[in-house]
Amino acid sequence: MAGNILWLLLKCFANVAVMLAVAPLCEGVIRKMTARIQSRQGPPVLQPYMDLLKLLGKEDIESGESPVVQRVAAYLALSMAMLVACMVPMGFASPMSNVADCLVLVYLLTMCGICTLVAGLAAGSTYSLIGISREMMTMITLEPLLAIALVIGSMHTQSFRLNAVLDGSVYTIGGFPWSGLVILLVMIFAFQAFIQRLPFDIAESETEIMEGPLMEYSGPKLAMFKYAQMCRLVILAALFIALFVPFGSRLMFPLGWLIFWAKVLVLILAVTLVAATHARYRIDQAVRYFAALIVVAFVALVLASYGF
Amino acid sequence: MSLLSKAREAIICLKAGKVTLPYPAQPHAPAPNFRGRPIFDAAKCIGCAGCANNCPAREILIFDPCQEIRVLHYLGRRCTYCGRCADVCPEKAITMSQDFETATDKIGDLSQHLELFMSTCQRCGRCFKESSPLEQLKLKGYRCDDLEHEHVIFRSQSYLKDAPVVDDINIELD
Amino acid sequence: MIARERLKALEEQFGVGIERADLAGENRLFVYVRPTMLKLICQHIFRDLSARYVISIGADDRPYNGKFLVAHDFAFDGDNLLCSVLAHVPSEDPKVDSISAVIPAANWAEREIMDMVGVQMKGHPYPKRLVVPDGWPEGVHPLRKDFAWNQVPEGFDDQKEFKFGEPPEGCVVVPFGPFHPTLDEPSHFRLYVEGEMVRGCEYRGFMVHRGIEKLAESVLSYNDIPMMAERICGICGCVHSVAYAQAVESAVGLEVPQRAQYIRTIMLEIERLHSHLLWVGLAGHVLGFDTIFMQAFRIREPIMWISEKITGNRKTYGMCVVGGMRRDLTPELTAELSGVLDKLQTEWRAVVDAVVKDKNIQKRASGVGVADRTLTKEMGLIGPMARAAGVDIDCRRDHPYAAYGKVDFDVITAAGGDVWSRLVVRATEVFQSIRIIRQCLEKMEPGPIEEKVTDDLPVGRIGLSSVEAPRGESHHFLITGENNHPRRWRVRAPTYQNLQAVPAMIKDKPLADMTIALASIDPCFSCTDRLETIDVKSGATRVWSHGIEDLPGATKG
Repeated sequence: MAGNILWLLLKCFANVAVMLAVAPLCEGVIRKMTARIQSRQGPPVLQPYMDLLKLLGKEDIESGESPVVQRVAAYLALSMAMLVACMVPMGFASPMSNVADCLVLVYLLTMCGICTLVAGLAAGSTYSLIGISREMMTMITLEPLLAIALVIGSMHTQSFRLNAVLDGSVYTIGGFPWSGLVILLVMIFAFQAFIQRLPFDIAESETEIMEGPLMEYSGPKLAMFKYAQMCRLVILAALFIALFVPFGSRLMFPLGWLIFWAKVLVLILAVTLVAATHARYRIDQAVRYFAALIVVAFVALVLASYGF
Repeated sequence: MSLLSKAREAIICLKAGKVTLPYPAQPHAPAPNFRGRPIFDAAKCIGCAGCANNCPAREILIFDPCQEIRVLHYLGRRCTYCGRCADVCPEKAITMSQDFETATDKIGDLSQHLELFMSTCQRCGRCFKESSPLEQLKLKGYRCDDLEHEHVIFRSQSYLKDAPVVDDINIELD
Repeated sequence: MIARERLKALEEQFGVGIERADLAGENRLFVYVRPTMLKLICQHIFRDLSARYVISIGADDRPYNGKFLVAHDFAFDGDNLLCSVLAHVPSEDPKVDSISAVIPAANWAEREIMDMVGVQMKGHPYPKRLVVPDGWPEGVHPLRKDFAWNQVPEGFDDQKEFKFGEPPEGCVVVPFGPFHPTLDEPSHFRLYVEGEMVRGCEYRGFMVHRGIEKLAESVLSYNDIPMMAERICGICGCVHSVAYAQAVESAVGLEVPQRAQYIRTIMLEIERLHSHLLWVGLAGHVLGFDTIFMQAFRIREPIMWISEKITGNRKTYGMCVVGGMRRDLTPELTAELSGVLDKLQTEWRAVVDAVVKDKNIQKRASGVGVADRTLTKEMGLIGPMARAAGVDIDCRRDHPYAAYGKVDFDVITAAGGDVWSRLVVRATEVFQSIRIIRQCLEKMEPGPIEEKVTDDLPVGRIGLSSVEAPRGESHHFLITGENNHPRRWRVRAPTYQNLQAVPAMIKDKPLADMTIALASIDPCFSCTDRLETIDVKSGATRVWSHGIEDLPGATKG
């Protein structure tokens, strides 16, 4: 029993370590590719590591309304990300996938968003409050999409267990997976918003509201949040791949593992291309867009419930 | 959807390639005729103070310690590299160099100091060959700008009747 | 001659009210009126004759004739006529009727006269301080002749703060500036925001006031001032130095050689190119679309290089002096310039074609920051702001200066009056600028580039000059003086007028639109604030409040 638990802990640790190690690299790739599109050199691919190190080395200045809550929010954000990493398969079956279910996954992912809200509230400045109101509107209209995708998957496999759902479950029905394709399309269109990149980085639009919720953050706290955001990118990419394009992940380590990261790379490149060629949307335009996506997602849900 | 225009934009971007230069990792010379830091040639200078009078930023100080010696001190701090000094110099003693990398942590590095022996000059300003009345000397005669505090002392004829001598203010530099 | 006809009509209408008139050539009319008739005559010119209001100027003429001077400049765009209505106000108890009630565009200019010269404007709807800081003592007016340029007034109150109005019901105060990523220069917009909608705005600006006009009157000489004028703005510097030089030349009747006129035109158009490309990039950046920013700057860079080759500097050209230019264009430079223009045209054409169909940008820019024809007329808006609202004015065509009378070009207008229209107007004007430069290069003949001034310049002459900056009309008013410097120099940058329309543009619109609406007027706060600061001790912050409630005709929030 103890051996099992130890083994479980070790696998969790490995998962988390891999994620923590690779997340800044993904961010670096995004920055480098954005720079190439913008006809410039760009920072080295390893720059985010150096940024995080630099931030961690800075003085932890207390600014904002409630510094304690700010600190808590920062640690919570990163912890949530690390926890979710234990549950999401990243090239091999995740350690907790046969004990956790997808409802917990949804809750934990929502917690990450709530951490941003708490951060903005704790900062207390006008701009951060505007930022969190935008973030709230975005969350309300966006998180349901992921939930619906997971529900569709669980409807098909008749189980909430993660290892069942996160395995291309949206396609696992007898005939042509209509609901699967519809929800795939919806998620493709919504993915940019999930990872908070242009054109949907409304909550933290630099030119309009000066970074919004993260406004009063600096030094180590900012490093935590930035890290949490980078990890979010990897986690959501992993989720997307596990749900919709799991082909090839079942192969033997290391081939399956390499294929997984190749897919993540392709996803990131697509994200960068879209982010670099779009202007930011206004919150009301974005909310209308998400609302339209929700309607389509519900159609997919209905289809799934009828067995399509 | 504006997919097509986005695609066109992306193609424009990617066709352009990388255009940023690795300056300052690699040096980058400015164009010829670039107006950089002015260099004062003491050998050619006749001490007419035409440059000091026509410097819009008042960065050239003139001080006459005695009958024979005139000190010309170019401060260089607020110099805008406009090149008017080089334009009006009758002896072409000032050249605008190509030097623009003038950042330094010691402000004294920017200044140039000329000490000129003036033969039998009465400081009338006759040496300055102005090209038009617009470039006439504002201040003639002996000049005693404050070299220690680096101020120009205006003793010009003010347009105010009964105007007292208008002195420069003391700015505390710490 | 149109000017003579206009003068005759005015004399018939107002008879005794007009004391004297100067017809300085076909295009300049100076009408000296009785101070009591000033408002009536200005009203007539603005409303009945449909002239465009340009600026109001105050000057201290007490050493010369014992009175203060108040002048209001108007432009008859269709007639190529710039007209100045001047009144001498007695120095004991200087008061004159304000024209802001009938000409809303004069709001700021009159407050500036009140602050700087001390002539009271009776009946001004909002007589609060504009330019001098709050702590500035009462009754001390910097532009008066008995106030030295480096004088520090006694009684400056460091602690006195500005009293902003109360925010309307249910609104949160969002301070926009002086620090904000979108603002290039410090200014303060105090927004009253309800949810995401802006319900009102108070502006507090003039933080970059540097005392240019006082310096020009005291310690700079005629040929020093173009260097200073160039540094009024980092983007439209050439415009100001040319406008100043033209004002002096117009005042004293100095003919500038042909070749210098062509070179001036070329440099002005090169400046327009770089400014519009910069603006398109900036607008993209404000919208979050950094790629357009990078690409616009990439395409713009060759212009900076050729400017460096021609003038010696990328931006502060330092080319203009009174009477001509300092440097000439060699044949090699001409050939190189043509090459740069060809490449620019192809690349920009590709970008414009792609951007014009881009729905993503259009969504953020259409219907945003609308300034319609009425607002344009009332507030005297100029430049691409006006042209985007369908108002067809352009100083290059209406009041030709330099070599613009000799080249063909189209004036680009659009109909929407919103940010998108302004983007289209500016992006398309680039091609017209290229066309103008090409024609100038063709038509230029060899010859002298500077008209040497041989005598002292005459004293007491007034010169007006309007130059089309990339942002609109830049108007300089100059009175020549003794000792080789002017008596009065007033710079009216285009942003001075255009900024006054911002509160109206952002009212009842989402907060997210505020930044792009502000950026769309292509604001140049340095140009706007250029006036006075000689207050070394305090760091002079200007304070002004312009609630939306105070715009005549605006509905209360």
